[in-house]
Amino acid sequence: MERRLRKELTNLIKDPPDGIVVDPDKISQNITEWTVDVKGAEGTLYQGEKFTLQFKFGSKYPFDSPQVMFVGKHVPEHPHIYSNGHICLSILSDDWSPALSVQSICLSILSMLSSCSEKKRPPDDMFYVRTASKNPKRTQWLFHDDTV
Amino acid sequence: MEKAADFHYNAEQNYDEETIIQQREIEKEIAGCQDLVGPKEDFTTLDREFEHDVAFLKKIQDVKQRYRRFRRIRADGNCFFRAFGFAYFESLLKNPDEFKRFQDIALKSKDELITLGFPQFTLEDFHETFMQELNKIETNKSIEGVLQTFNDCGTSDYIVVYLRLIVSGFLQKNEDFYQSFLDGGRTMREFCNQEVEPMGRESDHIHIIALSQATGICVQVDYMDRGDGNLISHVFPEDSSPSIYLLYKPGHYDILYKE
Repeated sequence: MERRLRKELTNLIKDPPDGIVVDPDKISQNITEWTVDVKGAEGTLYQGEKFTLQFKFGSKYPFDSPQVMFVGKHVPEHPHIYSNGHICLSILSDDWSPALSVQSICLSILSMLSSCSEKKRPPDDMFYVRTASKNPKRTQWLFHDDTV
Repeated sequence: MEKAADFHYNAEQNYDEETIIQQREIEKEIAGCQDLVGPKEDFTTLDREFEHDVAFLKKIQDVKQRYRRFRRIRADGNCFFRAFGFAYFESLLKNPDEFKRFQDIALKSKDELITLGFPQFTLEDFHETFMQELNKIETNKSIEGVLQTFNDCGTSDYIVVYLRLIVSGFLQKNEDFYQSFLDGGRTMREFCNQEVEPMGRESDHIHIIALSQATGICVQVDYMDRGDGNLISHVFPEDSSPSIYLLYKPGHYDILYKE
């Protein structure tokens, strides 16, 4: 697990995709917990906004998906993102594959933001945020809309 | 957990966490009592497993007539890939020519998969481990070594992942032909993302065809199902001579041996 995470980190620092910023100093203390800054792409509803993603890796990573959520004051307003930072995205649970990586998760989340046409919260946001576990991996997600 | 009789559904409560904890406990229980790849054994435990199940008795007799022994594989949704990988690696111990042929295919597979658009970084990681374990067959030449490789959870799962990626790559490359096997209006890409690449997703005919075609490894599967009649065998690809034999019981694969 550690070997793969160190390789991923080196790779992300050396060659970060557009809109993704990793601060190696913050991660070096604990390799199993990362924060990654994500910037809304130009020409999208989130242009000029900056968000922070938190990654937590369990001992079974990469066979088991990491726990990923938005943290901090500013959580993007999006139909698949709850106001507690939880993200409804199939690759974070059911469709996770060990061939995916931190980089591919960041790119999927950025693309989810970029294709959004209206800023709003999921319809069940109030109920979900009240009853959900702190860990988004403790939710059984249902995926019914891949248009945004 | 509450007992079923006392259970009253409360719409204001979230049950996901309890459900997931229970699933993990079931997985742990299976992992605790079964090796990823078990020892070679005779059919005594298979008899016991189905002694009260008339539908399977005839099929077990057929299995015993055709085979001498079998090896159990852990039921974790990866059993087809693990059984296929282990049985094939084991067969390579006695077949240096086949080893060379496959080593060459395995080496070339990395660039092919990268060309198909798999992320280079993670793919290389899995390919490296796969080749390293494959090459051990040539240097170690021992069944103990192969058992060790496949019973070490991390290494074993790396091999399973790489075989899954080979299947995904083959199906996407031959999408035009295999698309008609899919139901539910999914694209081949969606099918691979949902049913091939994730760990623990069970295998169907299409996975078996793809893996045997992509690797040139011929496998025979004997199907022990509830249907009437004799044990039915399928050879993948058709009309070739199998180098490994698998036993299918509903939802699960184990390895069969003639000797």
